[in-house]
Amino acid sequence: MTASTIPVAVRRSATTEPALVRWVLIAVALLFMALFLVIPLVAVFAQAFSKGIGYYFHTLAAPNTLSAIKNTSIAAGISVPLNCIFGVAAAWAIAKFDFFGKNILTTLIDIPFCVSPVIAGFVFVLVFGRQGWFGPWLLEHGIRVIFAMPGIVLATMFVTFPFVARELIPLMQSQGRSVEEAARTLGARGWQMFWRVTLPNIKWGLLYGVILCNARALGEFGAVSVVSGHIEGANTMTLEVQALFENYDQTGAFALASVLTFLALMTIVLKEWVERKGTAGFSKRTTL
Amino acid sequence: MSVEVRNISKKFERDTSALDDVSLKIESGELVALLGPSGSGKTTLLRIIGGLEFPDNPGAQVLFHGSDVTGLPAHKREAGFAFQHYALFRHLTVFENIAFGLRVRPFWKRPREAQIRERVGILLKLIQLEGLAKRFPSQLSGGQRQRVALARALALEPKVLLLDEPFGALDAKVRKELRLWLRTLHEELHVTTLFVTHDQEEALEVAGRVAILREGKIEQIGTPEEIYDHPATPFVYDFLGNVNLFKGRVRDGAVQIGDSKFAAPEMSGDNGFLATAFVRPHDVSVTREPAGPPAFAASILRFHVIGPLAELELKRTDSNETFTAQLSKERFHELNPHPGERVFVELHNVKVFPEDYSI
Repeated sequence: MTASTIPVAVRRSATTEPALVRWVLIAVALLFMALFLVIPLVAVFAQAFSKGIGYYFHTLAAPNTLSAIKNTSIAAGISVPLNCIFGVAAAWAIAKFDFFGKNILTTLIDIPFCVSPVIAGFVFVLVFGRQGWFGPWLLEHGIRVIFAMPGIVLATMFVTFPFVARELIPLMQSQGRSVEEAARTLGARGWQMFWRVTLPNIKWGLLYGVILCNARALGEFGAVSVVSGHIEGANTMTLEVQALFENYDQTGAFALASVLTFLALMTIVLKEWVERKGTAGFSKRTTL
Repeated sequence: MSVEVRNISKKFERDTSALDDVSLKIESGELVALLGPSGSGKTTLLRIIGGLEFPDNPGAQVLFHGSDVTGLPAHKREAGFAFQHYALFRHLTVFENIAFGLRVRPFWKRPREAQIRERVGILLKLIQLEGLAKRFPSQLSGGQRQRVALARALALEPKVLLLDEPFGALDAKVRKELRLWLRTLHEELHVTTLFVTHDQEEALEVAGRVAILREGKIEQIGTPEEIYDHPATPFVYDFLGNVNLFKGRVRDGAVQIGDSKFAAPEMSGDNGFLATAFVRPHDVSVTREPAGPPAFAASILRFHVIGPLAELELKRTDSNETFTAQLSKERFHELNPHPGERVFVELHNVKVFPEDYSI
């Protein structure tokens, strides 16, 4: 019997592979990680601090850089809460009601995931630009959308549109309607049901969606690049990184890039924390 | 408070649990079971009474104590509702779950904190979970959760209590305990209670009256004894317990099965038609010697003993039809049967239905 010659300790489970295969796979994964994730990360910070900490903060304090940070904050600060509201509303509608066009809405929510951000940007130029459909009318009323802040906010909203809704739809569908119905039979009115029952049940999913949404809002380049017009002082952080780089200010570009990278790392930590909290909540629910 | 529904119809696009012109009246203080197989519409009827679902037809009416509540949504009906899977608020403690209904009242009707504490305290005592007020639902057993769900529904002192498969998700032993507990609770509170179940034993044991639903219609309503002893239709007979079927011919208030005649008093008028006779396994008696003329011969196929009862599978010698007999353990030992042995069988309480029915 050849099977009995294999030590039991090695075969811990049916899917355990021989040692050689395991080590090769692990090595390949680690090599890729180092090459594509760790080295670039280290390079960003190394470049940013290459002329010393003093210079680092000096470049960050440049007026264009500061206004880029401000612009990105505004874009994210507007688009994230709005998408949050939209996401909850859409998820609620899709998960809890049956209505005409439900499937179409579910599909349309994914459009920003499939369309290249550059194309999204061009669409906004087409609609709101000087030669666009609403552009002349808006200009008559003194409203600038394209090559200004409203355009940047619109573009950011477009690309971050699906994150909250996508996160909440499956969550709310799996939770069903019965706790909300219970709240209703106990006399809760609509908004009481939402604040006291629905929201606490989806809060971790919502937070997770908000974090992803925010990360995307901070990192967006393509769509924003098209609508911003690269006007000095009107750039977002990602656009400013490019502008600095093209002006041969490598240290300045990397200094600002390091801020974005830092925010990204924070996002990952936060996301991990929320995920853990959230799964703890999920397991509580599944035992109910 | 009495509850009445009149001419309720409801259709669903996808599933079968529709209702077809259902009318039903429950008197104040009654404990009524809605019993039926899945898809019979019993839960739909309960949800319509609770205001979670609304009838399709304009003539439909739901009356609470004689006044029309058909259009009122759930939160205005003031009916307590317990859900099959409890639907407890998992982010709230047991205390807060029970207090929920009091806390969401409009501020002019909302009791003060001290009153809420007192009320929840009384309910916790009622459900015998006084020590667990600070637990979360996830830290409770199934039976405890169901009791919390009931206490939560009772917090607003509803005049009607609606329970959807209240014990459906519990294991058999806890289920038995909770059944008795529900009976006692109802005797104490006398709140008009309607509960849905697919378990005939549960319905017969707990309810004062049982309404049996089938494909969106009420097949029969009556006390457990009435429906068990005088089932109106073959469906009711079949649904309430195990059954043997015998093909026979009806003649002069009796049904002839093979060469034997058994009394079927309700068939006295009709003569000569083919019918199916229904006999419960415990109404089949087995003897070694023919006790009298109505007995017929059968052979024993196999048998097994479960607790105090023994079940014999038998085959008619004349027609090869198989059927089951249920005996007490004492009778079984007295008989001491062997597989393949020939015995004589007598039927009691034979029930013949005029319409054709197949199981």
